[in-house]
Amino acid sequence: MTITTRRRTLSGRGTRAASLALAGALLLGACSSGGGGGGDTPGGGDRDTAPETLQTIEFADAAGSTGPAEEVPGARSGGTIRVLQETSPDHLDPAQIYVAHEMTIARLLHRGLTTTRLHNDGSYSVVGDLATDAGTVSDEGRTWTYTLKDDIYFNDGSPITSADIRHTFERQFAEFITQGPTFIQSWLADAEGAAYRELLPDGPYEGDHLPDSVLETPDEKTIVFHFAQPQNDLPYALTLPGYFAVSREGDTKENYDQDPLTSGPYQIEDFRPGRSMTLTRNEHWVPGTDAARNAYPDRYEITFGHSQDDSTGRLTADNGDNQYAISFNNGIDAGSAEVVQDPAVQERMVSGYQVFVASLVINQDTVTDKRVREAIAHAIPLNGVLNAYGGAIGGAYAGGFISPLLPGYEHDYDPYGKLALPQGDTERARQLLEEADAVGYELNYLHHVAPEDQQAAVAIADALETAGFSVNRSEVPTEQYYDTIGQVDNGYDIYRSNWGHDWLSAATVIPAQYDGRTIQDGASNYSHINQDYINEEIDRILLLSDADEAATAWFELQKRILEEDLPAVPLFYYKQNILHGSRIGGAVFNNDFSTVDMHRLYVIQD
Amino acid sequence: MLRFLFRRSLGAVAILLIISAVTFFLFYAIPRNPALLACGKVCTPDQLAIVERNLGIDKPVPVQYWEYMIGIFAGRDFAAGPCPAPCLGFSFADNRPVLDTILDRLPTTVSLTLGGAVVFLFLGLGLGMLAAWRRGTLLDKVMSSTSLVLSSMQIYFLGPLALALFVYQTQLLPQPQYVPLTEDPLGWFKGLLLPWLVLSTIFTANYTRMARATLIEQLQEEHVRTARAKGMSRPTVFFRYAWRGSLIPIVTIIGIDMGSLFGGAMVTEYTFALPGLGRLAVESVTKSNLPMLMGVMLFAALMIVLFNIVVDAAYALIDPRVRLS
Amino acid sequence: MSYLSVRDLRVHFGTEDGVVKAVDGLSFDLERGRTLGIVGESGSGKSVANQAVLGLHNPRTTTIAGGIELDGQQLIGAGERQLQRLRGNKAAMIFQDPLTALSPYYTIGRQIAEPYRKHRGAGKREARERAIEMLGKVGIPNPRQRVDDYPHQFSGGMRQRAMIAMALVCDPDLLIADEPTTALDVTVQAQILDLLRDLQQEFGSAIILITHDLGVVSQVSDDVLVMYAGRAVERGTVREVLRRPQHPYTWGLLGSMPRLTGDTERELLPIPGSPPSLLHPPAGCPFAPRCAHRDAVDPPERCTEERPALPDGRGAACHLDAGQRRTLFDVHVRPRLEGQPR
Repeated sequence: MTITTRRRTLSGRGTRAASLALAGALLLGACSSGGGGGGDTPGGGDRDTAPETLQTIEFADAAGSTGPAEEVPGARSGGTIRVLQETSPDHLDPAQIYVAHEMTIARLLHRGLTTTRLHNDGSYSVVGDLATDAGTVSDEGRTWTYTLKDDIYFNDGSPITSADIRHTFERQFAEFITQGPTFIQSWLADAEGAAYRELLPDGPYEGDHLPDSVLETPDEKTIVFHFAQPQNDLPYALTLPGYFAVSREGDTKENYDQDPLTSGPYQIEDFRPGRSMTLTRNEHWVPGTDAARNAYPDRYEITFGHSQDDSTGRLTADNGDNQYAISFNNGIDAGSAEVVQDPAVQERMVSGYQVFVASLVINQDTVTDKRVREAIAHAIPLNGVLNAYGGAIGGAYAGGFISPLLPGYEHDYDPYGKLALPQGDTERARQLLEEADAVGYELNYLHHVAPEDQQAAVAIADALETAGFSVNRSEVPTEQYYDTIGQVDNGYDIYRSNWGHDWLSAATVIPAQYDGRTIQDGASNYSHINQDYINEEIDRILLLSDADEAATAWFELQKRILEEDLPAVPLFYYKQNILHGSRIGGAVFNNDFSTVDMHRLYVIQD
Repeated sequence: MLRFLFRRSLGAVAILLIISAVTFFLFYAIPRNPALLACGKVCTPDQLAIVERNLGIDKPVPVQYWEYMIGIFAGRDFAAGPCPAPCLGFSFADNRPVLDTILDRLPTTVSLTLGGAVVFLFLGLGLGMLAAWRRGTLLDKVMSSTSLVLSSMQIYFLGPLALALFVYQTQLLPQPQYVPLTEDPLGWFKGLLLPWLVLSTIFTANYTRMARATLIEQLQEEHVRTARAKGMSRPTVFFRYAWRGSLIPIVTIIGIDMGSLFGGAMVTEYTFALPGLGRLAVESVTKSNLPMLMGVMLFAALMIVLFNIVVDAAYALIDPRVRLS
Repeated sequence: MSYLSVRDLRVHFGTEDGVVKAVDGLSFDLERGRTLGIVGESGSGKSVANQAVLGLHNPRTTTIAGGIELDGQQLIGAGERQLQRLRGNKAAMIFQDPLTALSPYYTIGRQIAEPYRKHRGAGKREARERAIEMLGKVGIPNPRQRVDDYPHQFSGGMRQRAMIAMALVCDPDLLIADEPTTALDVTVQAQILDLLRDLQQEFGSAIILITHDLGVVSQVSDDVLVMYAGRAVERGTVREVLRRPQHPYTWGLLGSMPRLTGDTERELLPIPGSPPSLLHPPAGCPFAPRCAHRDAVDPPERCTEERPALPDGRGAACHLDAGQRRTLFDVHVRPRLEGQPR
């Protein structure tokens, strides 16, 4: 049960705001092709596992987007892979998919206009998936044009046309679609929050459609997006499973969530919610059209209800059918940390970072003295916090808000000396409090009831007390936590938050958390920071069309926010460790998926 | 007998009504909004209102309860389609009919608990008889002390231990899994063998001790002595007279244990990764999935009520004094 | 050779505290057609001894020594199968409380028919007819209907009649009735005793009637055996024992018992003290600690050191000589028993 609560920290957030869980796409040095290992060892606090510099991923042209996908060395087609999952997907309609465990399965079933490919050399690119390339931009980023490939079909044999893609986006505006990403809708409507729905309140179901000035489909093959603002990240956003294709003819509205048509290499042969799902080949999928999916196994047999204990037990034992098994989303339980030290087991493990960065938010409305906020930052013991989350196997100490997966990430950035002193510096904190004449400063600390969060809270509160704060801890049920801290007038001074990027740009990190103009109930600027320099800089960077330039600018902005205002103390980067059975080949960590790359897996046959 | 069943069925309906009302209103007794978990990333008040309307929780709680009860007896129409009676609604989480999901999970729990019960009753009562038959011998003493140790074990300790030992290390037993009995009887049996054995290890001991104690008590009864004085053979005396008398206390405990076995199914299902009602109940609570929670509670209550009726009917079958008075 | 001959019977139970000598040297004989009343307080060993006759004790916890011959057949050391053939067939037993002695789970008819089927190899229907016949014989009205009743549907007296029917279903030569009337009210008691007497005349069985009640003995018995602490202390015909009891314990028994005739207002005199521990019985006369007359013995230590023997035939196991006992009875005991003012 430790396991479930542990995972809930993420998936609780995951179901809502935090399932912003898409991944950046970058390469981890250790990514290798070929079977067996790869990935770095779970080094935890060992920061050397984080890469030194990161390159932005490129948008592929037509040549780079043409299938079939580059072969994985040594791979053969055929066989069945068993997948041990904890949580059964609640949603199969692509438009409702935003949670990590649902995205992993969706990637096998559906295709979008673009998707991410991890190449044999370890590099990544955004390739055209249903589209011939990653997109043609014009009008300074305001217009994006896509052309569909030939020979693309849904699994009922019907060809995929621009009408289906139009429908895919139009139905996102209907009220029954509430769970998926909203980036592209908001860009199309040029609106904040949920206001985008006003553009097409009933979706396409009552005969209304998006005007050609917004979404244009001049012929069967062409789709043109028109945005009011430049949207340079559109090719990334289109890789989100939430924007994967839905059949116009096959759309059954609410019921599509139970039985969707698929456009990817597999289809759902059998699904028993909460128990099992069998995927078999979609005979209408043409490998030559797909540059991203190798689709080696004939079958996936996915079973649900496996706790991390259970999957770790099976996969370390590597007995019988478990040799052919893997989990897409179950990590390794902290309790099994010793077991996986076994070299034989480590050979069957791939590791990397999850998208989430954990931080302790400081409410700027209540803790107004910068010196007090600095004292908090110095006092917090990163080691005590990370230990609560599984120690070295669970994560690595964080110096900033931007994940090691993102371009622009600087390995040694450590403005408050936290990496150098992970145990915290309560002396320095007390000095700062004395300077501010604030010894005995009262802090209202909110956390939730998950055991890890309670343990972390104790470590944090103890250190703060030692430094001279007076801490009042309160807790709420996990499922209400983010709603509580999401209230502008929440009445608390410090609270923990996990944030994950949606794609490999900090554009999905900084604005959502630090744009002061977004402050409202339910929004994700939990610190309520509102500084003109931040707001203006956000607007500026969003318009940059050069990805490298944008990445550097985001990192610089992050530095300034952290050093000048300190709205949150970075704590740690979550790690992910995936085990697989000995008959599974091709397992490598995909930073964009922030788990194993399912497209490259194959069965090692006799 | 018909009147008995009729009377008990009325009582059962009353109990189920009370449980449904208590569950429903307790669910809302703590401040919570199931819509929060289905609200997506941008959970503005507008968005939340849409989700609440989609889930049908924008109405006052008593109205929701009334509609729920109507659904059970007369069926309802939802956006996702009609839901004929007995309609337990649609899951907040995946928008599938609650009844379908429950009926899909029920066989796992029933196979696990009833199958386990068959094994541990067979073993427990058998060993208890043996101990009573051979009372005072070394066998009896060894069994009595062993059963004391085993019955103090817990599933969450014994389960992973047995998994590691018999499945992962020695591979003597197959990996626990649920295969429907109707699809593959042998697979069903193999998949549940280890959970049954682990459940049995814990429960067998209790039944061994209890069967031994009640049998020994019964063997002292005067009517048992009368049977011997009539010249009845030892097996006849033991099984026809003493055993019959032991059944009442044993059946009583079985009735109680089946309740706790269903309750404990959650732990068993987690330990062996079996998708049953216990897991479903926990998932429903963590996901604030009211319709599913209601459905599971009602089914669990129904099972326990049914079991009580079976137990009472068994009393009447066993003891003519109960039957006729 | 008598029909039933018990010789120096010892029944010892092994317990955690030691060996309980429940019966410790009991001898008696019984002929067909006669009734022997065995009298004693509870714990005197009378029931234990008779259960030993049917071999009902658990051999694991019980040691039985001495001799029990039934119709020339030695029962001590006999196998379980041999005993099973005997029980309910040649020798049957009825118990004190017919409610607990009958199984609540089976019909009266089935319980009666069961030994008949087993011992006589009768079929189901035949055995049922026999059960109905027997119910009729013991005076159950409408036996054909009542045969399918359960024991709890019978009254106490009817249950004991059914019990008797069950005991007699195979025409046993020996019937052991263990306190057959104790649990019944007085009017029913008399009916049951009458029934036993009538049936004995019809079947000619030997009957052992175990009771603590000398009144019951006087109504049906031919002979009496008085038991105390696992031994027989006095033996004689009913007339002899009741008219001229010889043992101080028998005197005590008579004094502690209400009379149905004569002076019913007479004060009841319980025997002071309590029976000796059967774990550590006294070396001499077991009754000596409670005996009011032990000082009359010469020398008085004989009572605590030497165990008095019970002579064959009429007699008592007492160190007082016959003359002393006659005098003591006439002077001290009889006036009290007959209720004359002191």
